[in-house]
Amino acid sequence: MSVASTQSEPTTLRLSQVLGSFKLPACLTLGILLLSLVPRIAGTPILQASFWGAAGALTLWQGFMLLHLARRPALKDFAPAVYSQHYVQAMVQFSVYLYWGYYWRPVYDHLWLIAGQILFAYTFGMLLAWSRRRSYQLGFGPVPIILSTNLFLWFHDEWFYMQFVMIAVGFLGKEFVRWNREGRSVHIFNPSAFSLGFFSLILIFTGTTELTWAPEISSTLTLAPGIYTYLFAVGLIVMYFFKITLVSGAAAMTLFGFSALYAAIAGVPYFLDSEIPAAVFLGLHLLITDPSTSPRTPLGKTLFGMLYGIGVFALYTILGYFGEPTLYDKLLCVPLLNLSVIAIDRLVRRISSETVLNLWNPAWFEDRGNVAHMAVWVSVFVIMSLLGRTDAQHPGDSVPFWEESCAAGLPNACARLVSVESTYCSDNAAWACNELGAYYREGEIVAPDADLAFGYFARACELKFQAGCGNLLQEQALLRAEPLELDLRLMLRQGGKNLMGASLPELYERACRHDWAFACERGDVSAGGE
Amino acid sequence: MAGKPASDQDRVAKQNQDYQAPGRAVGIAAMLSLVAFTAAFMTYQSTLLVEEPAVSLPAAGSGSSRFLANQAYLAADDLLGFVEIPAGEFTMGSNPLRDRMAYENERWSANQRQGRVQLPSYFIGRFEVTNAQFAAFLEATNAAMLAQFTERLAEGSAGEASADLPVTGITLPQMLSYARWLDAQLRESASTPAALREALESGARVTLPNEAEWEKAARGADGRVFPWGMDPSQAFANFGTSGLQPVGAIACDTCSYGLADMAGNAWELTRSPLRDYPFELELDATSLLSADSLWVMRGGSYSDGINNVRTAVRGAVDPSVRNQTIGFRLAISHL
Repeated sequence: MSVASTQSEPTTLRLSQVLGSFKLPACLTLGILLLSLVPRIAGTPILQASFWGAAGALTLWQGFMLLHLARRPALKDFAPAVYSQHYVQAMVQFSVYLYWGYYWRPVYDHLWLIAGQILFAYTFGMLLAWSRRRSYQLGFGPVPIILSTNLFLWFHDEWFYMQFVMIAVGFLGKEFVRWNREGRSVHIFNPSAFSLGFFSLILIFTGTTELTWAPEISSTLTLAPGIYTYLFAVGLIVMYFFKITLVSGAAAMTLFGFSALYAAIAGVPYFLDSEIPAAVFLGLHLLITDPSTSPRTPLGKTLFGMLYGIGVFALYTILGYFGEPTLYDKLLCVPLLNLSVIAIDRLVRRISSETVLNLWNPAWFEDRGNVAHMAVWVSVFVIMSLLGRTDAQHPGDSVPFWEESCAAGLPNACARLVSVESTYCSDNAAWACNELGAYYREGEIVAPDADLAFGYFARACELKFQAGCGNLLQEQALLRAEPLELDLRLMLRQGGKNLMGASLPELYERACRHDWAFACERGDVSAGGE
Repeated sequence: MAGKPASDQDRVAKQNQDYQAPGRAVGIAAMLSLVAFTAAFMTYQSTLLVEEPAVSLPAAGSGSSRFLANQAYLAADDLLGFVEIPAGEFTMGSNPLRDRMAYENERWSANQRQGRVQLPSYFIGRFEVTNAQFAAFLEATNAAMLAQFTERLAEGSAGEASADLPVTGITLPQMLSYARWLDAQLRESASTPAALREALESGARVTLPNEAEWEKAARGADGRVFPWGMDPSQAFANFGTSGLQPVGAIACDTCSYGLADMAGNAWELTRSPLRDYPFELELDATSLLSADSLWVMRGGSYSDGINNVRTAVRGAVDPSVRNQTIGFRLAISHL
């Protein structure tokens, strides 16, 4: 580097020319400040402060760069980079938000916060590129990264500043954590999966998973009716345009296969109330399908998808074993898979047999390979749907099913029964609270715990469940009763259906289908009485 | 090329050669710093999640020696504020001929105005359970709820006097939780009076009184309409006023068994579900499960008129109700 040259060259650039480039990041930063004034954000002081903090940090960065430029002007420019994989992916993700949010309104409330994150991501990306003396690739790139991140994890308002940190980590990872692949320097990790993976680990190890909406995000997808079919349909768009059918299809089929195998051997479902949890189904369509961080060959893509399926399957048990939220299974394995891409490519290159290499892509497919793969995937999904393994009622969604499985001593059934009833008790189903209290008082399927039992009975009693009150008063006795009408409305919401307005005959008929024997009798009486 | 003016792109490329942009090591260090900061911050947040909030307990019995700070603020007397009610029969329910204010639900049966009920001996609290006593329980068991509780007391602007006010605004299960906790404390404590220890060791437990236990304690064996006698009086109870008073603030030498506030101040929840009379001592499962989820409260409150502070009055609420006029007192009972 020559000092003389660096001092003489800048004189050829006008300062106004240099400053002009900063109009866009300045406007975007102003946009973040303006967003902080909308009622959704201004109504929570710490959320508003988070936006101000993000805007302040970006302003400082711009100020630092301008000071530097005043001494040594250099052009900060943009390079157009409008790629269909960005905007198509973004539109598909946005449609998921719209559909899901229609049935779970916090999603719509969150859209303002997503807008703020997108502005932050653009500004951060520009400043990072210019700090690295590169042109900024101006396109839609940041949008799918932000939308993808928010489909799986967002912080509660009180800790929302961490969301900006998470985005920053994702972009830094994309910029700096790179390797040479096929002669090109490319980022190793899918940016959203990288930050999601990192932050999931931190949340798990610090015991702060409750600071995020992750459990609600994971469980409320099914509030949207037919969510599997919806995700399948929008997934086909991504598959068609970007040829990721083998990745998603292989992941889904691996999970379907393993779930079916486990159910056949153990007699109970592997995942609690689905063959593939809806959030995992979403992940395998929209999280692992970034072409730059997945293998390029058909066989490699298939292996990649299968490994995701195996990873999710294994992590579900591992996380459950350590008492951690299992919903992180779909996030933790993606960075590991990204790291394995070169190894997968190498493995595939070592295969000399053309037959094996083109197993999924025979010559007679010609250019229609992806369409053929999609046809196979469509067939598999249709078959799974016809077998009731997607949007239909799942056996694991029935409490009597888990009671019977537990009584029969099937693997994990008792733990699942307690888990299901804990969820219902949290939803204020008094019957479930009383049952949990009974388990802890009896000490047969869980270790006896008089204090815990008392707590559950107290909750049942406050919810006006007489048996719960009786159990509070008589520690030697154990009273049980059938679920109340409200309990049924809360416990039969499989598929997210709102049952609060359902008539009694409808409710009992539904309960009967979920194996509640008493409801079948009452349903008859109720129907007969009408 | 030499005569051609340099384009912006060329200039940028030239400057990029001259300028050493932050390298990968710096970038990765920055990223890892952010991750480390996040991990440290989250660790700190996790400690805040489990940390007990700083609260100041109400100063119980300040200025008086009526309550023992070292014994969960129980009353400073020989039986820690409990009074023994001897075994025997008493008259339950109302006779409209003697009590013109009687309600229909106080009638014993279609054929009988009042009934006779035999009870074994038991202990009952001289006072209603106070804020300080309940706060001591929360301090030992539920720090998060203690913070809410003390905040609520502070909002009540009763100042130091709030400690000795009857605890109100809590649910039936919370009352039973307190009783269960105190039961364990009395069993473990070496300073538990011998009479109480003996009762507990013989199978009694600390709980809420049932309807009969409460009524007998209030009206005695002579069937009084009010705890102090047969005639209405404003002198012995806090009713028809605007607020709670510290427990035992109104002296009532003539009241049955020397108990305080059996009429007025706060309604007192019992452990009896609301059922029609005649009263049955045994709480059988079938009748409990078939009953509405309403639990009997007795004694009336400061906001009630004279008709509701009679010893036979039966009010009822559901077990989740939190009301500023509803409190409780304890019993040590074999039933």
